[in-house]
Amino acid sequence: MTDMATAPAYTGVDDLRRIARELLEAGDVRVIIGYENARRGARPVFISDPAETDKLIFDTRCVHNLVTYLNPRRDHVAELGKIALVVKGCDVKAVAGLLRESQVGRDDVVLIGVRCGGVLEENELPAALALTPENVAPRCYGCDNREPTLTDHLVGEPQPEPPRPVMTIDERVAALDGQPMEERWAFWTEQFSKCVRCYACRQVCPLCICEQCIVEKTRPQWIESSAHPRGNLSWNITRAIHLAGRCVDCGECERFCPVGIPLSLLNRKLQHIVHERYDYTVSDDPENAAPIGDYRLDDQQEFIK
Amino acid sequence: MSDRYFISDSDLRGLAADLLGAGTDVIAPVATDICQSPSAIAASACTLDHSLVDIDYRALTDADELDLSRGLPQLSLKGYFLPEHEALCRWKQKGITVEVEEVPTEFAPRVVLAAKACDAAALEVVDKVMNWDYKDELWNGRREATTIVNLTCPMIDDSCFCTAVGTAPDDVKGADGLLTPVAGGYVYEPATDKGRALAEANKARFSNDVEADTRGREADDERAASRQRVAANLEIDAESVRDWIDTHFEDPLLSQLAIRCNGCGACTSVCPTCHCFDIVDEQEGVGRGTRRRCWDTCQAPTFTLHASGHNPRDDQHVRYRQRINHKFAIYPLKFGEVLCTGCGRCTRVCHAGQDLVEILQAIDIAARRPGDSAEPEEAAS
Amino acid sequence: MTDAHTDFEPRITAFVCNWCTYTGADLAGTSRLHMASNVRLIRLPCTGRIDPLFIVKSFERGADGVIVSGCHPADCHYTSGNYHARRRFAVFHDIMEFIGVDPRRMTFSWVSASEGAKWKDVVDEAVRNVRELGPFEAYRALAPEAVEPWPAATSDPAGEEVAS
Repeated sequence: MTDMATAPAYTGVDDLRRIARELLEAGDVRVIIGYENARRGARPVFISDPAETDKLIFDTRCVHNLVTYLNPRRDHVAELGKIALVVKGCDVKAVAGLLRESQVGRDDVVLIGVRCGGVLEENELPAALALTPENVAPRCYGCDNREPTLTDHLVGEPQPEPPRPVMTIDERVAALDGQPMEERWAFWTEQFSKCVRCYACRQVCPLCICEQCIVEKTRPQWIESSAHPRGNLSWNITRAIHLAGRCVDCGECERFCPVGIPLSLLNRKLQHIVHERYDYTVSDDPENAAPIGDYRLDDQQEFIK
Repeated sequence: MSDRYFISDSDLRGLAADLLGAGTDVIAPVATDICQSPSAIAASACTLDHSLVDIDYRALTDADELDLSRGLPQLSLKGYFLPEHEALCRWKQKGITVEVEEVPTEFAPRVVLAAKACDAAALEVVDKVMNWDYKDELWNGRREATTIVNLTCPMIDDSCFCTAVGTAPDDVKGADGLLTPVAGGYVYEPATDKGRALAEANKARFSNDVEADTRGREADDERAASRQRVAANLEIDAESVRDWIDTHFEDPLLSQLAIRCNGCGACTSVCPTCHCFDIVDEQEGVGRGTRRRCWDTCQAPTFTLHASGHNPRDDQHVRYRQRINHKFAIYPLKFGEVLCTGCGRCTRVCHAGQDLVEILQAIDIAARRPGDSAEPEEAAS
Repeated sequence: MTDAHTDFEPRITAFVCNWCTYTGADLAGTSRLHMASNVRLIRLPCTGRIDPLFIVKSFERGADGVIVSGCHPADCHYTSGNYHARRRFAVFHDIMEFIGVDPRRMTFSWVSASEGAKWKDVVDEAVRNVRELGPFEAYRALAPEAVEPWPAATSDPAGEEVAS
């Protein structure tokens, strides 16, 4: 079996708790959204009482992208008042996405960045584990936001780079790309046939913010709602297209999927597409305009006759 | 129980083979690669590089696939009685008339081997609503055609709590017989005529060699031990929980307990007792189509969206409250059954950290302390 | 190309913009250009209006191939609709290829109002490609029940299968 050494929390937790307490005591924010320890591992916590800020943790189990709680659909979170959000470098790119699309104002949220060295793939554990190539979340490798800039506070020491997983997501995407088309079709239709249309992927995504999702439109019904492979293919293709250039690769959609569809492969492919065609990389700079919705006069058109 | 049989490990597999050979579908726990695809590309392209084995109820193609060495199947038996999507009827326009083709409501006999008690019990719980104001022929047809043999749970985890909601790991509610592991095999105890018929029709696999003092005692002890294992996880007074929920609709405790829910609906899809479905008409071509029903979730934002545009449950904590309310108050008041059999899948599948054991514990404490609302932190064990 | 496909007449849906391609197709017609008759046109104001879902839906409903065509860059009647469409369809094309849909089933083109001859070429090539690839059974087979193709043009509207 793999090395099951436990790991201490990432540094900066004391500062994190102190900053959170000070923000609440000063009344600058009404609620802190961060991570806590629970019966089944780390999970999101909502703290309104300064005395409870010691519940905040940050370690390799803190996988969740808490930016999903900024989604304007969530009235009951907005009602709590101004939020201070604990964010990793990957998560905060989603805030930039929301800012770009005017879904949230920069002054509406306080961002407490934590320096991160990677997270676990299987994170529902009673104690944090040290990261190894076997247990690290594959998406952490090659992290390009180790020093997040879109933050109001940044705690923790710079951490070592996350270990290279046994197989990186890019390698897996390349393996798929290298396969004959029929095999790709067989792979993806088989994966999408598992889909039960719970829409967990959409609900948890910080950038799925439409008031009415296209899949819920019934007049006409563009995307079949039944969970048969034909309807599922339409749903998953549509979701991918709507996220092109916007997805921050936080991996939550795949983590939440109850039937294990490898959405991270699709997400990473989307990133390759916008990078190769439009030299675009998702970052935490809100001024960096998204590629879809934008255009250049000399955009690639090799596929057009 | 007067009629008890013994079936060895190899004979159980042989029973599966006999049934398959006779053309009977056998549904049983099967180990599956998390990506569930045999192709080499999937093995390399799967995000989980080590093949994470999981367990699912599958229709066996071969008796060797039967895997009783692992825990709870990730999805329940629900899908075999209420499929994720199924056609209700098909229509075709002919001139100015419409031809409607009904779907069959009789099904070939099939057997479920080694079902979890929580999954079988859930079927009996849902039988109530499926035979309430409308008798659901598709559900009933599948129930009648199926013989379910439970397996006393050899292993559980700390999210199981069947004993807290009126069932047990060795229960036969909703099932036709019970297998209990003993040395060399299993003691089989039929609970219904169907369960007895299974043993009678397959005499070669079952022996009557169950001495009360040895094998019989071993089975009894194992059954008691399994119950104790689960009872350690959670004990609640389901009736006072029901009454508290019924009388504390606006209590902030329920909103607090729902705070981190994303509304993803994964809990409802893995739940053996959740049964809500949507009915859609899907056009398949000009003048023809299929009416289908498919799983729906009360956690979806549009679940209660009215045609007027009004949505009485337009926020996630309200929808989550509804789930607790329906399962632990409304359904028990209406049908006398808790709409939950304590399988714990909702807790395991929730990646936002919603924990039904913790939630029930908090409500139970609140229910036993009138005038006070329990803080969830005190309830967490 | 296999013998099985010589009896197969591809069904192709074309989503075309009103100002350029639709007019160009009309010119091809008035010029009496001979071309394959397998294409059914759907006219839209601009390629910028075309949602990739239209293409997905076409495949679901029985199309074997799809054409998307509009004004050349810099000639869009609405100034920039085709620039948006260009990016959108680049991404869509790449995703569909990744999913395993043969890109030869989807044809994208810029055809102006005066390019009747080019429209003929686009149509003929699209039909040729799809004929070689065969019917897109794989997509339709994803449905739990078989999907009937569009009724043949010779069906008797007064009698049997009728479109309302």
